[in-house]
Amino acid sequence: MLISYQAVGLRSGLVLLSLLVLLLSFVVSVAFGQYTVPLHSVWDAFWQYDPNSIDHVIIHTTRMSRAIVACAVGAALAVSGVLMQTLTRNPLASPAIFGVNAGAVFFIVLFAQVFSVTTLNDYIWIAFVGASLAGALVYGLGSMGHDGLSPVRIVLAGAAISALFMSFTQGLLVIGQEGLDSVLFWVAGSVSGRELDTILPILPYLGAGLFVALLLSPHINILLSGDDVAKGLGQNTLLLKVALSVLIIGLAGISVALAGNIGFIGLVVPHMVRAFVGNDHKWLIPLAAVWGASLLLLSDVVSRFVLAPEEVPIGVVTALIGTPFFIYLARKGRKHG
Amino acid sequence: MSSFLKRCVERPILGVCLSFLLGLQGHALASNIVVSHAMGDTEVVSSQRVVTLYQGATDSTVALGITPVGVVESWAQKPIYHYLRDDLKGAEVVGLETQPNLEAIARLKPDLIIGARLRHEKIYGQLSQIAPTVMADTVYDFQRSLALVAEATGHQAEGEKRWQAWQARTADFRKQLSAQQKKWPLTASILNARADHMRIYLDESFPGAVLRDIGFTSPIPEHKGWGIKLKTKEALPSINADVFFVLFDQEDGAVQQNYDDWRQHPLWQVLKAPRNGQVYQVNFVNWILSGGILGANLMLDELSELYHLTPAS
Amino acid sequence: MAKQWVVRQRWGSFSVPYQALLALILITMVMLLVMWVSLCLGDTLIMPRDVLATFLSESSSEFAFVVEVLRLPRLLMAAMVGAALAVSGLVLQSMIRNPLASPDIIGITSGASAAAVTFLSLFAGLGMGWLPVFAIAGALVAALAIYVLAWRNGVTPMRLILVGIGVSAAMGAVTTLLIAVSSTATSITAYIWLTGSVYGSDWHDVRALAPWLLVSMPLTLCLARRINAQELGDQLATGLGISVQRLRLVLLGLSVLLAAPAVAYAGAVGFVGLIAPHIARRLVTRSFGLLMPATAMIGASLVMLADLIGRTLFQPLDIPAGVFVSAIGAPFFIFLLYRQRF
Repeated sequence: MLISYQAVGLRSGLVLLSLLVLLLSFVVSVAFGQYTVPLHSVWDAFWQYDPNSIDHVIIHTTRMSRAIVACAVGAALAVSGVLMQTLTRNPLASPAIFGVNAGAVFFIVLFAQVFSVTTLNDYIWIAFVGASLAGALVYGLGSMGHDGLSPVRIVLAGAAISALFMSFTQGLLVIGQEGLDSVLFWVAGSVSGRELDTILPILPYLGAGLFVALLLSPHINILLSGDDVAKGLGQNTLLLKVALSVLIIGLAGISVALAGNIGFIGLVVPHMVRAFVGNDHKWLIPLAAVWGASLLLLSDVVSRFVLAPEEVPIGVVTALIGTPFFIYLARKGRKHG
Repeated sequence: MSSFLKRCVERPILGVCLSFLLGLQGHALASNIVVSHAMGDTEVVSSQRVVTLYQGATDSTVALGITPVGVVESWAQKPIYHYLRDDLKGAEVVGLETQPNLEAIARLKPDLIIGARLRHEKIYGQLSQIAPTVMADTVYDFQRSLALVAEATGHQAEGEKRWQAWQARTADFRKQLSAQQKKWPLTASILNARADHMRIYLDESFPGAVLRDIGFTSPIPEHKGWGIKLKTKEALPSINADVFFVLFDQEDGAVQQNYDDWRQHPLWQVLKAPRNGQVYQVNFVNWILSGGILGANLMLDELSELYHLTPAS
Repeated sequence: MAKQWVVRQRWGSFSVPYQALLALILITMVMLLVMWVSLCLGDTLIMPRDVLATFLSESSSEFAFVVEVLRLPRLLMAAMVGAALAVSGLVLQSMIRNPLASPDIIGITSGASAAAVTFLSLFAGLGMGWLPVFAIAGALVAALAIYVLAWRNGVTPMRLILVGIGVSAAMGAVTTLLIAVSSTATSITAYIWLTGSVYGSDWHDVRALAPWLLVSMPLTLCLARRINAQELGDQLATGLGISVQRLRLVLLGLSVLLAAPAVAYAGAVGFVGLIAPHIARRLVTRSFGLLMPATAMIGASLVMLADLIGRTLFQPLDIPAGVFVSAIGAPFFIFLLYRQRF
C-alpha cells in the first residue's frame, strides 16, 4: 500500500495528459479537412455562427458530426474491448467476437438488397438490431453450461456465429454484385456522412453505458481473480457477467451502427492502456475510453489527406497506426489478462 | 482406371491436337477466321451458336443482329437488361459475369465464346476446350468489344458500318451542340450516387469514353483511371464542371436520400452546374452498366433529348 | 474388454481407441459420399453408373468432358484446399494452445490476401498465372514478419499470436484500402478471391497443388508425438527432451507450408482452419496422430460440400465455395457446442 500514493499521482498525471491529447485531437479534427477553412473562421463558427458562411456550415455539419462520432465510437469500442477481454479472459477477444460486427453488417446488406430501405437513419436501427441479435445468440450459446458463461465457449460460439453471419453477407454480396460497391465504406468503417441531428439522440445511451462500466469496475477487478474467489467474496458472478455482456453488446452495437465495421480499436487500445496502468479497471476503463476516442479522431484526420480527394477508410488508418505500437507492446511482454 | 489416368494427362494435349486438326479441316473449307485477341490467336470455325460472357459483348452481339445462345446475368434489371430483353428471347442465362457456369456453357454446345481477360483469364483453358474462345482485354472499351465480336462472328463489314454510323452521329451531335452552347467544349462530371458515397467516373470508364467521343471534356484531366470515390462533401469542389450527369438506382430509397443530402449541401449549390441549372439525371443502366455500342447510342438519345437536338441516326 | 486396437510392430507401436476408430471410419465414409455425390450433381445430372463408366471405359463417353475436365479437378482442389487449411489450423491451435488460432487469425491468410489483392489491382496485366506466386510470397513474408517480430530470446505462444494479430490487422488494412480505391471490376474480383472459390480449377491447378500436400501432410504426421508433448506445456515438453523453440519454428513453418499454397489456389477460404479441428476434437480423442487425419478429412468434406452447394443450389449461378463453408460448418459446430453443454 506504500507505493499507492506515488502510483495514484502518476496515474492522475497520465489521465491529465490523456485528456489533453483528446482535446487536441478534437480541435485538429474540426479545424483541418480537404476544404480549407481559415483558423479564425473555425473560432467564429462556434462563437458567432453565420448560417450563410460556407466555412461555418462545413464546420458545423461535416466536421463536428464526424468528430463527435469518432469520439463516441472510439471510446465505446475501447471500453467494450476491455470488458470483453476481461469477461472471456482471452487477450485475443475483441467486441467483434460477440458477433456484433458480423450481425450488423449482415442486416445492413440484407435490408439494403432484399428489402428497400428508405432512409439512411433506418440503417442505424437495422444495424443495431443485427448487432444485438448476434450478440444475444452468442451469449445464449456461450452460457448454456452448468456454471453460466464460460470463456472458451463464448469465444468459440462467437467465432461460429460471426462466421455464419459473415458467410450470409458474402453470399448476398456475391450474388448481387452491384450491392458490394454501395456498402463498401460501411463494411470498411467510416465516421463521416452522418448528420448531427441523427447522432445526438444516441449519445446519451453511449454515455450511460460508459458510466455503468465505470461503476462496475471494482466488481470487475474481483471477477478477474477468478470465479471462485469472486464467489467467496460474496459477489454475484452470474449477474455481473450478464451485466457485462449487455454492456459489451450495447456499446459495440451502437458503435457499429454509427460508424460501421471499425476493427482494431476494441482489440488494441485495451492492451495499450493495460501496458501503462495494469489490470485495475478503475483506471483501465476511463483511460481506454479516452485513448480510444483520441486514436479514432486522429485516424480520421489522417484518412482525409492521404489520398485526397478520396478518403481512406478509417479502419485502415487505425490498423496502420495501431499495429506498430501494438507489436511493440506485445514484444515488451507485459503480462496480459 | 489406368486408362482414365492416362486420359487425365493426355486430355489437354489431345484437346489441343483435336482443335488443331479441326481447324485444319475447317481451313480447307476456307470459311474460318483467325482472330487475334487478348489471349492469343484463335481459329473460329463458325458462329452459329455464340455465348457472350460480359455485358458489352452481349450488347455488341445483339447490335450486329446475332442472338447469342447463352449470356451472363445482368448487373441490374436481372436477369437481362430491359433494353435487350426482346432481342434475347431465346438466349439462356449461364450464370454470373464473374463466374459463369462452365457446365451450362458446355451443354449449350456453342461454337464461339466471347469473354474478357479481366474476368475470364483463369478459365480460358477450359473455355477453349468447350469451343473457340476470344477475349477482349477489359469490359468497358465498347469500341474494342464491337470490333472483336464483329471480327469473330465474320460480321466485320456490319461492325465497321455500326462504328461509322456512331461516329457520324456523334459528329453531328457535337456540331449541333457546339453551335447551341456559348462555351464549347463543356466540362462534364459523370456522378454516380451510392448509398454511402458518391463517385465520379473518368476517362477509363464506359460513360467517360463515350462522353469523350462526343466531345465533352473531363473536369479533372490530370487524373487518369476509371474514377474516384468521394466520401465527404468537402471534396465537392474537386468535381466542379459545366454540366453534371447524375445516375443512380432510383428504386433504392437510401441512394435517393444520399443524393438529396449531397445536392442540398451548401458546397454543391456554389458549383457551376447546379448554379446554371445544368444537372441532369440520366438512366444508370445505359450509362454505366451496358458497356456496348447499343448502350452508347441510348446515351446519345438521352443527351439529344436533354439538349433538344436531333442528330441523324 | 479391450477398448482400443493395439498394433505392435518392429517399426513401432500405437493404439487406437475403438470409439475413435469408429469415428474415423464414419468420417471417411462421409467424405467418400460427398465426393461421389459431387461428381453426379451439377448442371446436368449424371447417374452414378455413368460416372463410373467414364472412369473405366477406354472410349470417352458423352459425360467424359463434364466429369473429367470440369468436375473432378475442381473436386480434388476443394478436397486438398480443405484438408490443408484444416490441418494448418490444427497445427496452429496445438502450438499456440489457443482454440481461436487459425491461419486466418494469425496472419498467414491475410498476408496472402494482401499480396493477392495487390496483384489484382496493380499487376493483373502480368497474367493470372502469377496470382498464386504473389499469394504464396505474401503468406511467407507475413509469417516471417510474425516470427521475427515475436522473437525475443525465443518465442512464446502468446507473443506469437499477439504479433500475428497485429500483422494480420496491418495486412487486412492494406487489403481494404486497395479494394476501397479500386474500380468495381477489380473490387468484385478481389472480393470473390477473399471469399474463396475453387471455380475454374483444372488439372494444371491440381498438379501444382498436390506436391505441396504430399510433402506437408506426412511431415505433420511425423511430428505428432512431439506436438502431443508440446501441448502439455513448455516445461513438460522440455522435460521429455523436446527443444520447444525449434519445434515452434518448425510448426509455424509447417502451418505456412500447408495454408499458403491452398490459399494461393483457392483464395482466402476462411473458417475451415478454425472449425475443422474443433469438430474433429469432438468426434475423436485428443491424440494428434488421430486428430490429424480426422481434421483433414473433415476439412476436405466441408469445402467439397460447400462447393457442391455453391454450384448447384442457385443454378445457373455458380457461387464461391467460401460462402458456404461457414454456412454449413457453423451450424454443425453450434450443434456440437449445444450437445456437449457441461
